[in-house]
Amino acid sequence: MTVALSAHRSAPLKTEGIPPSPHSKSLRSYLPLYLAISPFYILFAVFGLFPIGFSIYLSFHDWDGIGDMTFVGLSQYAYLVTDPIFWRSVFNTFAIFFLSTIPMLFFALIIAFLLHSNLKFKSAYRAAFFIPNVTSMVAMALVFGSVFSDSFGLVNSALTALQSVPIPWLSSEWGIKVTIAAMVIWRWTGYNAIIYLAGLQAVSTDVYEAARIDGANTWQIFTRVTIPLLRPVIVFTIITSTIGGLGLFTEPQVLLGTNGGPGQSGLTIVLYQYQQAFEKLDYGYGSALGWALFVIAGLVAAFNWWITKEREPRRAKWTEGKA
Amino acid sequence: MTPVSRRTLLAGGAAMAALGGAGCSRSTSISRDPTELVLWYWARSISEDLLEVARTEIPETGKHLRTDLIGGSFDTKFRTSLAGDAYIPDVTALNSNVSIYFPNESKFTDLNDFGAAALKSEYLEWKWNLGTTPSGRMCFWPMDTGPTGFYFRKDIFDKAGLPTGIDDVSDAVKTWEGYIEVGKELRKSGDIAIVDNATRVFTAVVNSNAERYFDAEGGQIFRESGSAIREAWEIAVKASQAGVTARLGTDTDTESNSAYNSGNIAGRVEAVWWAAILKDLAPDSSGAWGVASQPVSPGNSGGSFLTIPTATKDPQAAYDFITWLTTAEHQAQSYTELALFPSSIKALENTTLAAKDEFFDDQDIFTFFQESAKGVPITFISPWESLISSPLGIELTNVDANGKDPDQAWDDAMVIADRQLAKKGLSS
Repeated sequence: MTVALSAHRSAPLKTEGIPPSPHSKSLRSYLPLYLAISPFYILFAVFGLFPIGFSIYLSFHDWDGIGDMTFVGLSQYAYLVTDPIFWRSVFNTFAIFFLSTIPMLFFALIIAFLLHSNLKFKSAYRAAFFIPNVTSMVAMALVFGSVFSDSFGLVNSALTALQSVPIPWLSSEWGIKVTIAAMVIWRWTGYNAIIYLAGLQAVSTDVYEAARIDGANTWQIFTRVTIPLLRPVIVFTIITSTIGGLGLFTEPQVLLGTNGGPGQSGLTIVLYQYQQAFEKLDYGYGSALGWALFVIAGLVAAFNWWITKEREPRRAKWTEGKA
Repeated sequence: MTPVSRRTLLAGGAAMAALGGAGCSRSTSISRDPTELVLWYWARSISEDLLEVARTEIPETGKHLRTDLIGGSFDTKFRTSLAGDAYIPDVTALNSNVSIYFPNESKFTDLNDFGAAALKSEYLEWKWNLGTTPSGRMCFWPMDTGPTGFYFRKDIFDKAGLPTGIDDVSDAVKTWEGYIEVGKELRKSGDIAIVDNATRVFTAVVNSNAERYFDAEGGQIFRESGSAIREAWEIAVKASQAGVTARLGTDTDTESNSAYNSGNIAGRVEAVWWAAILKDLAPDSSGAWGVASQPVSPGNSGGSFLTIPTATKDPQAAYDFITWLTTAEHQAQSYTELALFPSSIKALENTTLAAKDEFFDDQDIFTFFQESAKGVPITFISPWESLISSPLGIELTNVDANGKDPDQAWDDAMVIADRQLAKKGLSS
């Protein structure tokens, strides 16, 4: 940009003595280029920018979608911060996020590590682990609904067969959260494993050989070599999982309906937003919830950034010291 | 990267504004053809044979009908067209939740302007009332109805030592207390419930009551003990505490569907349209079902309406179409074709519709529900009911599935209901 700008500024000097306006000329000559890239910007303005802007406007109004909009100032936000259901949805979202992300990334790492070693039918395994990611979530939620069904589910039948007490997966608070987390884990572990695998393959085999020669066993190689070298990849997967986790919607919606099941234990922020806007026809409050999620996502992003930044100098110091 | 001058940006902006402006010059109605009326409906909501006639010509109007079969999220799509004031159908079917349109009744034609009042006596009075707004405008024309009864499994009742004759069962469940007693007998005979969950009991009681959450003047009548809602709550809690509910979730049918199939739930208070669903759901139990009178009084659940948005091209032709579509003769035809239960009194009295049904052990369910339809109380459904019914439903689930203290649950539901009412400016 800087280069281009300075080139542009110097242009009139070269064409000194030629009076016609450089702007109109440049506009005309650039027109085909702008035209070529315009579809994206026009579509983005219509379907991205405008709804975002309009949702800010909406969040200061009371609107049922058809009737007149009434300006209500900040009262949607005032209602929001005192709304126990909103805070429950925040708690649910984070609880499910932790329940799913930590085991998911752990399993993904193990799977990637195993896939990276000398295994037969490697590509078959890779494909197998990635398949859940391309399956329809709605169909899967229905299958999970049957598998975890309280009275007729596979899991509870197995528990009963093992002389154990059946667990109310779809009617108790933590049963619901674990079931949703299980769906997330099932779907995204393979995806993250493939990302990790790509990261692993970028690591030179020399490092592993050196570790082997130094007498490290597999566990030591995993914890002391693989994980530190994969750190940037792990940070990336944490960020993508955070985005997915905060936006969790389809799984609880199909599994439990828009109320989030018994005790509203599966009511996530986005599900609550959907319920308020499209079922209760309270578009103003739905928009306010959307912006609350934006603020929460911003805070989480800042926290992520702070964590990764915090460790950077320490590691630098450590490598410096070693050197 | 190429430099972007301010003027370029402005020109670009102007071009986009022009584009946007061009998009604004359109007609409100969905079709430009002056001889064509557009109807929105969903699958199996209107007889295809009748629509086929109207597609050629709506009798005695010189207009013809274009029928748009709308998929899921019907209300969202319809509301979107109303909000945008564009592509609005000339006539549309609406589901039993018409009251959500009451606050925007000015967007709908008052059918009394076309002489609807003269036809009032031909339709079930309670159904007619449901389509009339609180200000007295008749905007939603009666189509089919959903009178309710008590479906039950004769073989399971027999095993539990309960009566199996229709009249005997009707007698046994004459009151909600009797219904709970029957449930207890079923429970004694095995892992059998009489209903999916407490919320379904609550809804069944509310749907069979003349009094609901609000009176027609908008007064809130659900809090005091002795109110219909409080009573429905107490019956539901009693049923849950007696252990006669299966304690299943309320939002998905996966669990209850398999329970009807396996015989773990032996009954359901439900509308006439459930018969067709049940036949698909539990084909193996054919011949084992019966329909008896539900406790206290029959109710209504579901049923649909027709409405003419004010944006319509030709309200008179649209009115002629909906009255033609819902004559006694055509409603009888719709019942034969799609089991859409009539709202027309003459169609209800049409004896040719009575037929023995093998699935219900040769019971004539048309005649049964015809009696129910006549006994449904006249009531008023407010657009704001869900502000109260949804927290009550959530808390009732907490009582039923998780054993929460019922008084605490009621108070908690009222806190949320009051907050939501206050937010809508409807504080008591």
